[in-house]
Amino acid sequence: MTALLSVRDLAVDLPLGRWFGGGARALNILAGVTMDLQPGRTLGLVGESGSGKTTLARAILGLQPVSGGTLRFDGAELRRSADFRAIRRRTALMFQDATASLSPRMTVGEAVTEPFVIHGIRIASRRGKAAELLAEVGLPAEMAARYPHELSGGQARRVGVARALALKPSLVIADEPTAGLDVSVQAEILNLMADLKDRHGLSYLVITHNLALVRHVADRIAVLYLGRLVETGPTRAIFAGPGHPYTRSLIAAEPKPDPRQRRTDLAIRGEIPGILRRPPGCEFHTRCPVARDICRSAAPALHDLGPGHSVRCHFPETTSKGG
Amino acid sequence: MSEPVLSVENLSLRYRVAGGAVAALRNVSLSVRQGEVLGIAGESGCGKSSLAAAMIDLAGANAEVTAGAIRLRGQDILRLDQAARRRLRGREIAMVFQDPMTAFNPVLTVGAQLVDFQFNLDGVPGREKRARARDMLARVGLSDPDLVMGRYPHELSGGMRQRAAIAAALLMRPAVLIADEPTTALDVTMEAQIIHLLRELRAQYGCAIVIVTHHLGVIAELCDRVAVMYAGEVVEEAPVDELFHDPRHPYTRALIACDPARIGKATGRLPAIGGRLPDLSDPPPGCAFAARCGIATDRCRTVPPPRVAPGADRGVLCHEAAP
Ligand SMILES: Nc1ncnc2c1ncn2[C@@H]1O[C@H](COP(=O)(O)OP(=O)(O)OP(=O)(O)O)[C@@H](O)[C@H]1O
Ligand SMILES: Nc1ncnc2c1ncn2[C@@H]1O[C@H](COP(=O)(O)OP(=O)(O)OP(=O)(O)O)[C@@H](O)[C@H]1O
Ligand code: SF4
Ligand SMILES: [Mg+2]
Ligand SMILES: [Mg+2]
Repeated sequence: MTALLSVRDLAVDLPLGRWFGGGARALNILAGVTMDLQPGRTLGLVGESGSGKTTLARAILGLQPVSGGTLRFDGAELRRSADFRAIRRRTALMFQDATASLSPRMTVGEAVTEPFVIHGIRIASRRGKAAELLAEVGLPAEMAARYPHELSGGQARRVGVARALALKPSLVIADEPTAGLDVSVQAEILNLMADLKDRHGLSYLVITHNLALVRHVADRIAVLYLGRLVETGPTRAIFAGPGHPYTRSLIAAEPKPDPRQRRTDLAIRGEIPGILRRPPGCEFHTRCPVARDICRSAAPALHDLGPGHSVRCHFPETTSKGG
Repeated sequence: MSEPVLSVENLSLRYRVAGGAVAALRNVSLSVRQGEVLGIAGESGCGKSSLAAAMIDLAGANAEVTAGAIRLRGQDILRLDQAARRRLRGREIAMVFQDPMTAFNPVLTVGAQLVDFQFNLDGVPGREKRARARDMLARVGLSDPDLVMGRYPHELSGGMRQRAAIAAALLMRPAVLIADEPTTALDVTMEAQIIHLLRELRAQYGCAIVIVTHHLGVIAELCDRVAVMYAGEVVEEAPVDELFHDPRHPYTRALIACDPARIGKATGRLPAIGGRLPDLSDPPPGCAFAARCGIATDRCRTVPPPRVAPGADRGVLCHEAAP
C-alpha cells in the first residue's frame, strides 16, 4: 500500500544570525526524520516540548522551508509551492493554540465556514453550514455569534475541530487536539475523530504530550527527542516494551490518578540539553540512566526491535513483551 | 488550622454578551491556606478560568461581579481602589494564564519582560534581575536560558512559552500563585519537573497555590484539597485522598471514571459523560447536572440541591449525597 504521507530524512535548519549577531551558523531543528502514515491510520507523534513536533507539521504543509530530505503525499513528491498548495487543500491543521489561532475579529460562525471561502467553494447557507459543523462538535448553533475571546479554552478547541473538518480532508494534522479539555470532552472529540476516520477513511497525524491519549488512539507512535526520531513502532509494542530510555522515562513519569501513589523523585536528573548545546554522541545521554562511555561520543544507529519497531540507542531494552 | 490567605465568598460573576448575560460563576465559595495547594477541576467551560481570573482581579472587561467577596488576608480586594488592586497583583498574587501567549507582550523579548516582571523587587539592580531571570528559566527546565531571553514570545515552542510564563510568575515570589493549566503543553517528564518545582516553592516560601487542571494525575500528585466545578458552581470540595477514593457527587464520579489513564484496554473509543453543560445564560432551576445524572429524581430537576457536608472539610452540592 502506498503511504498517504511519507517523510524521508527530513531536515530543518533555522538561521541563527538574528539572535547572535550574524555569521552563517544555523540551528539544526530536525534531522533524519523518516516516517510513514498509511491511509486510514493514526500516527501519534510524541516528544519533549521544543523537540520540533510543530516544526515537522509545518514542514509537511510547506509552511516551513526544509533543508534536506523528501516529502511525499499520496505517492507524489512535494517540491514546488504548487505541490504544497495541493496537499494543503486535502489536509487540515488543528492548531496547538486554539484561541490564538482563531481570528479575534471573526465570529465563530465565520471562522468555521472560512475554509469554504478560502478555497472558493460555494455553500448554500453559511449560517446553516456553521450550525451543522458546530453541532458535529457538540456546540449549540447560538455559539456562531460569539467571538473567540468569549469562549472557554475547550469551546475554542471544538471550534478548531469544526473548522478543520469543514472540507472533509483526507489528512488531519492535529497539534495537541485535546490539550486543555476535560477528560469527558476530550473523549467526545477523540470519538468524533475516530468516527470520521471510520466514515471517511481519514488519516491522522496526532501530535501530543498525552500518553494516555496516544495509547488509545494511535496505531503507531513516533517519539521525537531534540529533533531526532528516537523510537517508532506499533503503539502496543511500544507500550508493552519501550526500547528507548527516553520512551521508558515518558511512560514511567506519567502521574497516576491516585494520591496514594505519589512519587517524591520527580526532578529531572542530569542536564537538560538544548538545540544550542546539542550533546555529542547520543543526544539523550545527559539524562539517560543507562548511558555508558560510547553514548557520550558516538551517535547510535537505528536498531530493529521487532516488525516495524525501531530504536535509536546503543543499549536498547530488548525485553519486548511482544505486540 | 491556619487562616486562609485567599478566600472567595459567595462569588457570582457574569459576562455581558450580545443579547444577554452568561452566569459564569454562581455563588462560589473557596479558600486556600498558607502552604496549601488547592486543585480546581471540572468540565471545559464550567468557569475555572473565570474563577482564577477573578481571584487576581483580572476578569475581562465584559465581566461583572454581581455578588460576593474575594478576601486576601481578610481584606476584600473588590472594595479596594484600582491602584491598590494593581499593587496586590504581582506583589501578593501572581497568575500563570491558560494561554501563555497572553502573559507576554509580543513586541518585547522574553528576557526584557522577565526583568520587568520583577518590578516589585525595589532596589535590586537590573543586572541581578537578569541573572535571576536566567536562573529561573533554567529551573523550569529551559536549557538555553540565554537563547530564550533573547527571543520574542512567538519564537518559542508552545511548551517553552508556557515554562517562560511559569518562570515569570515564580520570579515575583507571590504569597498566592494561581496557575491555570500550567502543564498542558509539556511532556510528562517536564510536567514532573514543574510539579517538583511547585512543591519546592511551597516548602521554601510557604506559598499558597491554586492550580486549575484537567489532568487528574497532576491533582493526585500535587494537591492537598480539590474543588470540582460544574456549570459555574463548586459541586464538590474534599481533601485529595477522599476525592479520589470516596467521591460523592455524581459528576465527580463520572469525571474520575472517564479518565483515560484508568482505562486499561485501548479500543479506539473512550467513555464520555454524554449530554452537555446547560446553557449558562439560562441555568436550569434545579441541579445543573440533573439532565446528565444517572440517579436524578424529579426533585433534582426542580429544586436546587443543598450543600451537604459528608465529613470534615468536605462539601457536596447534591440532593442524593446525604451521608
Ligand atoms: N518562529 C521561530 N523562530 C525561531 N525558532 C523557532 C520558531 N519556531 C520554533 N522555533 C524553535 O524550534 C524548536 C522546535 O519548536 P517546535 O515548536 O517545533 O517544538 P514542539 O515540539 O512543537 O514543542 P511544543 O511541544 O512545546 O509545542 C524550538 O527550539 C523553538 O524554539
Ligand atoms: N469574556 C467572556 N465573555 C463571554 N463569555 C465568556 C467570557 N469568558 C468566558 N466566557 C464563558 O463563561 C463560561 C466559563 O468560561 P471559563 O473560561 O471560565 O471556563 P473554564 O472552566 O476555564 O473552561 P476550560 O476548561 O475550557 O478552559 C463559558 O461558558 C465561556 O463561554
Ligand atoms: S442533585 Fe440530583 S441530579 Fe444533581 S447530581 Fe445529585 S443526584 Fe444527580
Ligand atoms: Mg508544538
Ligand atoms: Mg479555562
